[in-house]
Amino acid sequence: MEERARQRAERRNKRESYFDYSLLFIIIFLLCFGLVMIYSASSYEAQTEIGNAFYYVKKQLLATIMGLVAMFFVTKLDYHIWYRFSVFAYVLSGILIVLVLTPLGIEANGARRWLNLGLSLQPAEVAKLGSILFFSFMVCRMGKKVHKIQATILLLALASPIVLMILLITKNLSSAIIVLGIVCLMIFVATPYYKRYFVLVAIAVIAAVGLVYLLVSGIIPEEASFRFGRIIAWLHPEDYPDTTGFQTLQALYAIGSGGVLGKGLGASMQKLGFLPEAQNDMIFSIICEELGLFGAVAVILLFLLMIWRFMVVANNAPDLYGALIVVGVMAHIAIQVVLNIAVVTNSIPNTGISLPFISYGGSSVMFLLIEMGMVLSVSRRIKLDHT
Amino acid sequence: MKKRTRTSELRFTRKMQKKLAVLFIFIMLALIALGGRLVQIYKNDGEEYSKQVLAHQKYDSRTIVAKRGDIVDRKGTVLATSEEVYNVILDAKVMTTSSKGECVEPTIQALASCFGAKESEIREFVTKNPTSQYYVLMKRVPYEQMQAFQDMADKVDEKGNKINTKIKGVWFEKEYTRKYNYGSLASDLLGFTLGTGVQGMFGIEEYYNEYLTGTNGREYGYLNSDADLERTVKEPTNGNTVVSTIDINAQQIVEKHIQKFNEAHKNEAREGDGAENIGVIIANPNNGEILAMASSPTFDLSDPKKIEGVEGLAEDAAMELLNQRWKNFCISENYEPGSTAKPFTVAAGIESGKMAGNESYYCDGYQSIGGYNIKCVNRSGHGTETIAQAISNSCNDALMQMASKIGVAEFCKYQSIFNIGYKTGVDLPGEETGLIYSEEKMGPTDLACNSFGQNFNVNMVQMVAGFSSLINGGYYYQPHVVKKINSANGGTVETMDGKLVRQTISAATSEKMRSYLFETVQNGTGRSAKVPGYSMGGKTGTAERVGRDKKNYLISFIGYAPADKPQVVVYVVIDRPNIEPQSQSKYATTLAKDIMTEVLPYLNIFPDQEITAEEQAAMNAENGETENTNGNGEVANEENGESNSENGESNGETGESNGENAGNSGEQDPYYDPETGDNLDPDFSTMGDNAAGETQEENTQNSTAENSESGSREDTTANNN
Repeated sequence: MEERARQRAERRNKRESYFDYSLLFIIIFLLCFGLVMIYSASSYEAQTEIGNAFYYVKKQLLATIMGLVAMFFVTKLDYHIWYRFSVFAYVLSGILIVLVLTPLGIEANGARRWLNLGLSLQPAEVAKLGSILFFSFMVCRMGKKVHKIQATILLLALASPIVLMILLITKNLSSAIIVLGIVCLMIFVATPYYKRYFVLVAIAVIAAVGLVYLLVSGIIPEEASFRFGRIIAWLHPEDYPDTTGFQTLQALYAIGSGGVLGKGLGASMQKLGFLPEAQNDMIFSIICEELGLFGAVAVILLFLLMIWRFMVVANNAPDLYGALIVVGVMAHIAIQVVLNIAVVTNSIPNTGISLPFISYGGSSVMFLLIEMGMVLSVSRRIKLDHT
Repeated sequence: MKKRTRTSELRFTRKMQKKLAVLFIFIMLALIALGGRLVQIYKNDGEEYSKQVLAHQKYDSRTIVAKRGDIVDRKGTVLATSEEVYNVILDAKVMTTSSKGECVEPTIQALASCFGAKESEIREFVTKNPTSQYYVLMKRVPYEQMQAFQDMADKVDEKGNKINTKIKGVWFEKEYTRKYNYGSLASDLLGFTLGTGVQGMFGIEEYYNEYLTGTNGREYGYLNSDADLERTVKEPTNGNTVVSTIDINAQQIVEKHIQKFNEAHKNEAREGDGAENIGVIIANPNNGEILAMASSPTFDLSDPKKIEGVEGLAEDAAMELLNQRWKNFCISENYEPGSTAKPFTVAAGIESGKMAGNESYYCDGYQSIGGYNIKCVNRSGHGTETIAQAISNSCNDALMQMASKIGVAEFCKYQSIFNIGYKTGVDLPGEETGLIYSEEKMGPTDLACNSFGQNFNVNMVQMVAGFSSLINGGYYYQPHVVKKINSANGGTVETMDGKLVRQTISAATSEKMRSYLFETVQNGTGRSAKVPGYSMGGKTGTAERVGRDKKNYLISFIGYAPADKPQVVVYVVIDRPNIEPQSQSKYATTLAKDIMTEVLPYLNIFPDQEITAEEQAAMNAENGETENTNGNGEVANEENGESNSENGESNGETGESNGENAGNSGEQDPYYDPETGDNLDPDFSTMGDNAAGETQEENTQNSTAENSESGSREDTTANNN
């Protein structure tokens, strides 16, 4: 009797105490690593430009701490609460994007992408979170109907206003691609078909290759092709060393000069005023330069591990809504990591995408940590089957 | 609530799990592909990219300029030093590209406020050359201005953040500029640097250039075997400090008196300074150290090209004038020494044993040599004289007799022993050799004229060095102006002690010489050089300049104190003084006296004689020296003739008629007057007038000698001492 009671208690204990510590560890490790790399990459510029070597790392640390607190609360919350706010979150992100046009908007580097709400906030980050919640909600609402092609079209139609607003109002192509990508990947997972996606991907690839071919062969006249400067610079960065190809080339120099084991932490030379946005979108090339191929592969593996943990959590989620949230977060992280490294290695044309948890950016890290909180919250609900 | 329950019932199906796994695999493949891409970049272009990184870091080419060493005087007073200055470099590309061009205006304003740069000019340059990365906006900005600009650019608010973040694209190159703390003081001796200050010109700056220059440092990087960057900084070695033997105070005293002389006689007989050139050397006879070496005219070391009259001249003419001004009269001027050479002749005679030392000579006013009568300054003759009296009277006749006793061979041998006609090797650039007859080429007339210091050329340092050996016991020291080389941080690198070259005469002969020279200053022609209270020795000289036009003279005095144990030698040369007539050596003796009066106490040499009543009276009368001497009786009158020169009777033709007045020169150095010397063949005189200058200065020794052999004897005829 006693033994049985104890076993039951143990089982209850286990069920209640499940928590994805591996994921938490990965998150904390990436955050700390990110802070170290931001300090390494930015201290020189911060010292010379601002006179304070800790300028960037301090701001990032503050945002990280706030994000961790938020993550903690979100983890404690039952994620089902978000179900009711899904539509609201989506609409709110739309409103925030429009607010950029008001005097609340902050313009920097020639684009209005930020809002001044006491803290500076990037509405695109809100939109990513909002989209994850909203489309999880929508798929759950549709239930079995999601299998129909009309449902896919409807979901894409619902996604398009936000994507277009991000693209047109904040002129932020990369965020638009990320939001669209998140939605597409969620639909991909939620629907049982393969062929249509492969067809879509094939069409997209053919279109892209065709466009590049037209540019290279000179069929598109010079005057029109300047719009595709990024693509041309992507193909031949060394031809534009002082203009469009500059950043890409400097990033490549950093990667190439790093070697297998790198120059050592803090020993980058490219960060000394040569590589623009060294602590931001281009931080991965500094990792390559200082820690070498070894460090870069370790970071990639860490992200892969994280994505694998997402998959595990999603597969074991107690219900569809929780699973879809995790899938959305997973899509978000995966897209940003893949695109960021692809840009840094000049595998795709240059566009500003930050590396999650590592790149400098307050709103980015805060919203990422809220998303992590949701995933951890889902993981807490996993029912362990001991039978 | 209803919805929520239903939601909870929906499950993440097996199919979805499968698709998620597929998605994961795709993501994994993408990441693996990117990893492969990293490896590819590293493998294909790693080396090239590493070089690129190195290339734009410019580690391979940064020179760190070494500081040129200081020149200090014997007591460590800094005479020449190098100060940091900065070139302002504009990087227009950084200015225009940083912060979308917002940096241009703040930077221009900062430049304008700190350096007084013209805003419009910078703006124009930046607009026209937006990609220029190296433009020297300003040169040689002092450290303070550079620091003010840096402070402005680095200014931070209370949070430690920079305020002026928009000041960009300006950097500085360090250079050194040469600074001479005493303006034109010792200008000929020190020399100067032009341009970047790497090459010294003239004087110590040139002679010791290698010591002063130092070695530039370098900061460079290279790839080691692991293709890692090695950064190496080779610190510059700053130039050494050159410690001169010069005493800045003695130098100042000397230059002050030269200046006084120049002012006193400015525009007196003609337009211009008090003399064409004045040279003064003060030296220690016991080790060859030169304590002061000054010449006039001088120039401003900080701006050596700024000389009156240069502007407007053609380049060649201007350069010639500048070179003339820059050269050091004390070492680079050949001239005939005149009677100051007589002690050398006497010393040669005694040391060689050709003269006993106790014999006497009879001066009848002239000497017939090779068919010519070469006259003494005293046309009616000095009568019977001892050697001491001959020197004291500066008797040419007696000296010619001595020379003929000595003979050509011994005379020439002793000339070379005294280093006459050879470089002394003084540590200054541009020393002249002088010009003497070789033994084979020297005829009897040449010998006769040489005996009293005409017809051969010397430079001032030669005279000082040789004369020092006559009075210090016979030790010939190489004259030098640098004592010691110190490293930049004070350690001794090299010491240049007085280098003993040879023994010229015996101590006994030297002692005799001292007594003769003492007599000359005490009672003879050098009286007016005597500093009251000090026993001194010395010899005056009046030499006709080449050209032999009876107008241009070089007057001089070489002397020392104290008389029995010489500590200081002074040599004063006044070339073509601006007085009428020029041949009054009392101006040289007076200048020497004025200088020594101040220098001797300064050098801690104490009076060793009672001040005579006469001297006291002279001192009381301040400038009444001439009158007092004049009133002091016939001896002075006869022998010195200084006062005679004052009354104007002495010039020109009257000289011959008046034995007491002794010729056309106030100074009674015995010279004869060719104009009135009818004994001489007028041809010689003419030729001498025309050609002597060229022959002496330009032709080789041989040609001079040939001329004399062929009987032209222009030099001889021109001689006037």
